[in-house]
Amino acid sequence: MDGEEVPDLIPARMLNEFTYCPRLCYIEWVQGEFEDNADTVDGRFQHRRVDQSRGVVPDSEEIKEFNARSVDISAPETGIICRLDLVGGNGKSVTPVEYKRGSVPDVEGGAYESDKVQLCAQGLALKENGYECSEGMIYFVKSKRKVSVPFDDYLINRTKELLDSLREMAASGKIPPPLIDSPKCIRCSISGICLPDEINSLRESEKADEGTLQVRKFLPARDDQVPLYVSGYGQLLRKKGERIEIWSKKEKLGDAKIRELSQVSLYGGVSATTPVFTELLQRNIPISYFSYGGWFYGFSQGNSHKNVELRIKQFSVAGDNEKSLKLAQKFVNGKILNCRTILRRNDQGVSTDVLSSLKKLANDAESSENFRTLLGIEGGAAQIYFSRFNSLLKSQDEWFLFNNRNRRPPKDPVNAVLSYLYGVMVKEFFVTLLATGFDPYLGFYHQPRYGRPALALDLMEEFRPIIADSVTFTLFNNGELSESDFICRGLGVTMTPEGKKTVLNGYERRINTEVKHPLFGYKVSYRRIFEVQARLIARVLDGEIDEYPPFLTR
Amino acid sequence: MGRLKVFIVSYDVSDPKRLYRVHKTMKGFGDPIHYSVFRCNLSDKDKIELIAILSEIIKHDEDRIMIIDLGFACGDVDNRIDLIGVHPEENNNQAIIF
Ligand code: SF4
Repeated sequence: MDGEEVPDLIPARMLNEFTYCPRLCYIEWVQGEFEDNADTVDGRFQHRRVDQSRGVVPDSEEIKEFNARSVDISAPETGIICRLDLVGGNGKSVTPVEYKRGSVPDVEGGAYESDKVQLCAQGLALKENGYECSEGMIYFVKSKRKVSVPFDDYLINRTKELLDSLREMAASGKIPPPLIDSPKCIRCSISGICLPDEINSLRESEKADEGTLQVRKFLPARDDQVPLYVSGYGQLLRKKGERIEIWSKKEKLGDAKIRELSQVSLYGGVSATTPVFTELLQRNIPISYFSYGGWFYGFSQGNSHKNVELRIKQFSVAGDNEKSLKLAQKFVNGKILNCRTILRRNDQGVSTDVLSSLKKLANDAESSENFRTLLGIEGGAAQIYFSRFNSLLKSQDEWFLFNNRNRRPPKDPVNAVLSYLYGVMVKEFFVTLLATGFDPYLGFYHQPRYGRPALALDLMEEFRPIIADSVTFTLFNNGELSESDFICRGLGVTMTPEGKKTVLNGYERRINTEVKHPLFGYKVSYRRIFEVQARLIARVLDGEIDEYPPFLTR
Repeated sequence: MGRLKVFIVSYDVSDPKRLYRVHKTMKGFGDPIHYSVFRCNLSDKDKIELIAILSEIIKHDEDRIMIIDLGFACGDVDNRIDLIGVHPEENNNQAIIF
């Protein structure tokens, strides 16, 4: 952000956040990211009474007693804009009252500095508008108590000082570093976006080169929402109250609570009514469209993500060959190492030669000189890896033998399942990247051509072997997929609707599995790891960490 | 954060219009197990949202709502519930595939 672009008026609420943590203020205000947690929702709920604006603040010349709620006021000289929860007064002399959820904190003066400063900014705004204002009140809803905050010289100077540094931070265009080991992060609603401990320890380890870093786990609020998949001919989605119903002709197949949904995927000839679409878009639930065979066509999304800053950085790095290559090397390195781990764990007959060639190729990827050699390395590794794929399959039934990786159309059941799962994964990364503020179409490794969501494909590389490939051979080896799940046509092999459901079930089971993050040492679902990895790319673009650490299974 | 708890929510609402609105809201948060009794899997955040929405709908001097916390969804909740007779299936927070 250019200095001139910083808005003239800073919301007092942002000054509060800045005082709490400068990074919080930057992420919410400059980058436009926000995530609710129980505290923020409760805060709004407790505010609801005062939020209905009532009463008027009389002109400062009039002399009488008054009370007004939810008043907006701006002060161009101080550079502040604020909403006063409540302002009471007698003639010229007024007192702003700020409502806070929770109880009076056990700190000196009975209020946190961030709240005092916010209140003082309101006081300054009132003064600039001609009122006399020497103190404010904070009302703590839970303890039903008022705490008075005198606007003494110290507080006024502190408030102005913080306002100046806030401006400076916004103008610098540099995200402030995360707090170190702070208890504030535990209550922070955006800790899942900020990743304070992850970033701090990565920065440390870039200096020291350590193994696993022990960090606290910040779970995202979205973890308990679920995806909805509908495939078939002529199915219809309808909105009924707070739920979406799935109909097939005259028969209701089932329903889903809208607030529980994280995303919706529609395959083939499934349609939905406009109320369904508008509801999903309003709630920011993305809808993805696929062909019957699982080819990902595209998606619908509500108003797009506000983090323009991230997109600008993404575009500039994508246009920088050297920086792009550095990221691409990491994606390929991660992919090859994960392929190797899959073989080492599941292929009894694998030779040490194969394993060491893969290891060598993974290293070569990291030092490749250009994209052409990197592509060659990736191709070579894929050939070695897929040549062993058959030995991952326990059944030696001829029907289920895998020959070559082939697609469009796949020529055997194994390839059919792989292709289908790659389609599902592209969608998964597409949606994850959108939710984290990226443009999924512009990548660093894959070229942005032919409408390919290049960044989704980039980030997907390291996960292909451990998600799609692993789900595929597990489904065959457990006997969950059998001959009757496939239709063999002259040209190729497709799956029956039942077969597709089995595959989707296997996929969901896999990505909800909790695994230990090899770098951070905590256990989380793969789905969450996808998001963490996307956010780590964002931090590389920010320049906070130097190298993207791919997710490597052990 | 993030972990779901199981709640039983039951309500008595005297006015049919408000009753309908409460019922509609509840359908978004849980599954009906009896008449005016729902079983809901909620995060801390969901619970506050539910309370906020219901508080706006009901008349606080005429209607009533009871919310019972049965503990974490992955715990031994089901051991604490005995069911006799016909009961609907539970939604267990997994991907919905049709
Ligand atoms: S998680 Fe911690 S460092 Fe990050 S924004 Fe929140 S308070 Fe600041």
